[in-house]
Amino acid sequence: MPNTFLVIDDSKLHQKMYRLVFAQGALAGSTIYLASDGREGYALLAAHPELALVFLDLNMPEMNGLELLERRKTEKLHLHIPIVLVTTEGTPEDEARGRAAGAWEYLHKPFKPADVQRVIERALQHTASRSA
Amino acid sequence: MDGDENAFSELIQDYIVESLPLAEQVGDAFIELERRWREGDAGDDLLAPVKGRLHTVKGNSAMMGLPPMQTVAHALEDVCALLDAEPALRHDEAAALLISGSGLLIDLIRTAAEGPDSKAATQFAKRVRAFLSGGRARKVASKRPGLLLERRRSERRSPEVGPEAADSSASVVRVDFRRLDTMLEVLGEGMIEQEAVAELYRKLARKVRASDELADLDRALLALRKTLKRLEGILMETRLLPISSVFGRFPRLVRDLAQAEKKSVRVVTSGGEIPLDKAVLDRIGEPLIHLLTNAVVHGIETPEERARSHKPAEGTIDLRAASESGRAVIRLSDDGRGLDGARILAKAKALGIEADAEDPEQLHSLIFLPGFSTAEAVSPLAGRGVGLDVVAQTIRELGGTIEVDSRPGRGVSFTINLPLTLAILRSLIVEVDRERYAVPISHIAATVRVEPDSIHQVNQKGVALWRGDLIHVSDAGALLGTGATANGSRRFYVVIGLGQRKRGILVDRLIGHQDIVVKSLDATVGRPDVVSGTTILGDGRVACILDAVRILDQRVSA
Repeated sequence: MPNTFLVIDDSKLHQKMYRLVFAQGALAGSTIYLASDGREGYALLAAHPELALVFLDLNMPEMNGLELLERRKTEKLHLHIPIVLVTTEGTPEDEARGRAAGAWEYLHKPFKPADVQRVIERALQHTASRSA
Repeated sequence: MDGDENAFSELIQDYIVESLPLAEQVGDAFIELERRWREGDAGDDLLAPVKGRLHTVKGNSAMMGLPPMQTVAHALEDVCALLDAEPALRHDEAAALLISGSGLLIDLIRTAAEGPDSKAATQFAKRVRAFLSGGRARKVASKRPGLLLERRRSERRSPEVGPEAADSSASVVRVDFRRLDTMLEVLGEGMIEQEAVAELYRKLARKVRASDELADLDRALLALRKTLKRLEGILMETRLLPISSVFGRFPRLVRDLAQAEKKSVRVVTSGGEIPLDKAVLDRIGEPLIHLLTNAVVHGIETPEERARSHKPAEGTIDLRAASESGRAVIRLSDDGRGLDGARILAKAKALGIEADAEDPEQLHSLIFLPGFSTAEAVSPLAGRGVGLDVVAQTIRELGGTIEVDSRPGRGVSFTINLPLTLAILRSLIVEVDRERYAVPISHIAATVRVEPDSIHQVNQKGVALWRGDLIHVSDAGALLGTGATANGSRRFYVVIGLGQRKRGILVDRLIGHQDIVVKSLDATVGRPDVVSGTTILGDGRVACILDAVRILDQRVSA
C-alpha cells in the first residue's frame, strides 16, 4: 500500500528513521514529504490534499506541533487528512490537548517500524470507513 | 533487520552527528556553570537550554536503542531538575557530578558505533541517585520527598511552552544559518510549485492522448525535481561552521588533563567566530587535542618548577584563530618550558637524520617526522601511540600546513594554516569484503535489499527488476577486481543512475551517509578503473570513492 506521507520533524535523524520505515515492506514506493519545522510542514500540508497521513513532532522550532494543529483547525485546512502527533514523554493531559486540537492519534518515542506501520494501517482503514 | 538488532542501527553515524554537538554544548555549559557558581552567580540562563538538549539526546538514544546514553542523559536531567528547584545545592559537588556525567555522555556518543559501555552508565546513575537522595535529605522538612517527581511531571505537562521549545529555536546554528535557511525556504517554495505543476501534468495526462510532448514534459518535470533535490542537498550540506564548535570542548579537556597532572592550566581562546568548512572542523579537533595534551603534559611545568623560573603558578595555553587572506590560521601557544633542542638533536642522530644545531627552525621542524617523540616516559594521557607526525599528516591532508616556534623557557607556539573550504561530497559509505567505499549520493537512485531470487542470471549477467525496469546488477568485487563472492551472499545493491542509465552494484553492507573530503589519487598508483579518488572516513579509515560514470560505462560482467 504505497501512499503519500508528510513527516514534520526538526531532527534529521528522525527524518531518516521515517524514510527507513517507509522504504520497507508494503510501504515501499511511498512518496514522503519532509519538513523541518511547523511552518514548512504547514505549507506542505496545504499543497498536498492527497496525503494519506501526517507524522507531526510536538517539539519544534518556528511552529510546534500543537500550534500547527490549532492553525489547521482555525483555517479548516484539509481536515480529512489524519495527523499523528509524535512525543517523547506525553502525559494524558498532553494527549487530551493534542486531540482537542485535532490530532487523530498519538505515537510515543521510542517507536519501532512496526508501530509506524500499525498506525498507518489504522489510518487508512479510518479514512476508508469515513469516505464509505 | 537481523534478529533483535535495532531497526535504525544503520543510522548510527547520523545519531552521532546530531547528538554529539548537543552533548558537547551541555558539557561546556556545565563547566561554565561551575565557574559561575563559584562567583555566586546562579546561572539560571544556562540551566534551561541544557535541559532541552539533554531531552533531545535522551529521545535520540531511546530511538536508537542505546540504553547507556539514555540512562546518563536522564540522570543528568534529574540532577538539573533538582538544582532548578534547589539553588542552594548549586556548588562544586554538583558541578563535578554534572561535568563527569556530560564527559561520560560525550564519550559514549562518540564511540556509539563500537557498542557502548553500559557499566559506566549504570555507575553514574547510581552516583546520581545517591546525590538526589542526599539532596532531598538536605531539604527542609516541609518539602515532601516526592517533590522532584512532581516537578518533572509538571514540566512534562507543557513541553511546548517550556524551556525546550525556546532552546531549540535559539541554538547557535540557527542564528548563524539564517541566510541559508532563507535560501532553503525559497527552495521549498520552488519544490511545492514543482509539485503543483506535476499534479497538473497528471491531470492532463489522464485527459489527453499520449504524445511525444507529454512524455517530454514528464521527463522535464522529473529533471527539474531532481535538480531541486540536488540543490537542496547542496544547501543542506554546504555550510560553514564557526571554529568555536571545536574549541568549545577544550576547556573541559584541559581542566581534566591538568587535574590529572597536578598542574594548573588555563585556556584562553579567541577568534572562535572564524568560519571553517564543516569537513575541516570535523577533522581538526583531534590534532588540536593532541597539541593541547602535549602542552599540558610536556610543555607546562609543575607549579613548583614554575615558581623557580619566576613564572605564575598557573600556566596559560593561548588558542586563537584568525582569518588571513582566504585561509584560516590557528595558533596554539603555551608558556611552558619550550622544546628541548639538545634532545631533538640527539634523537635525530639516533635516527640517522642530519640536523643543524645552529638552525633552530629546521631543528624544531624535525618533531613532525614519523617516529620522533622526545618524551622520556610515555604518559598515560599524552602517549597514545601517535606522534606529531600524525598531526602534521592530518593537516597536510586537509590542504594545510603546520609550523612550530619554540623559545627555551618561554614556551612553544604551533601555527596551523588551513583552507576555509574543501571539496566535500555527500556520499553513501558501503562495505565490500570488509573494505569501505564511498558512492557519491548524487549518482545513487536507490538502495535495495536483496530478496531471495530477485536477481536472475541472463546470459551469465545479473539482472533485476527495479521499479518496472530491468537493470543489470554487478558484483562490486568483480568491478573492483577484488573478486566476486559466491552467489547470493551480498545483502544489498546500490542502484547507480545517470540520466536514463542505471546499474545495480552488489555490496555487503550499507554503513551510512557521510560528507567526505575528496583526495585525488596519485597517477603513479595503480588503481581499478572504477575508483576516482580516496577519502578518509570519520573513523580514520581510508576509503576509495567509486566513480559512477565509469561503472556505468563498464562492460557488463556478472
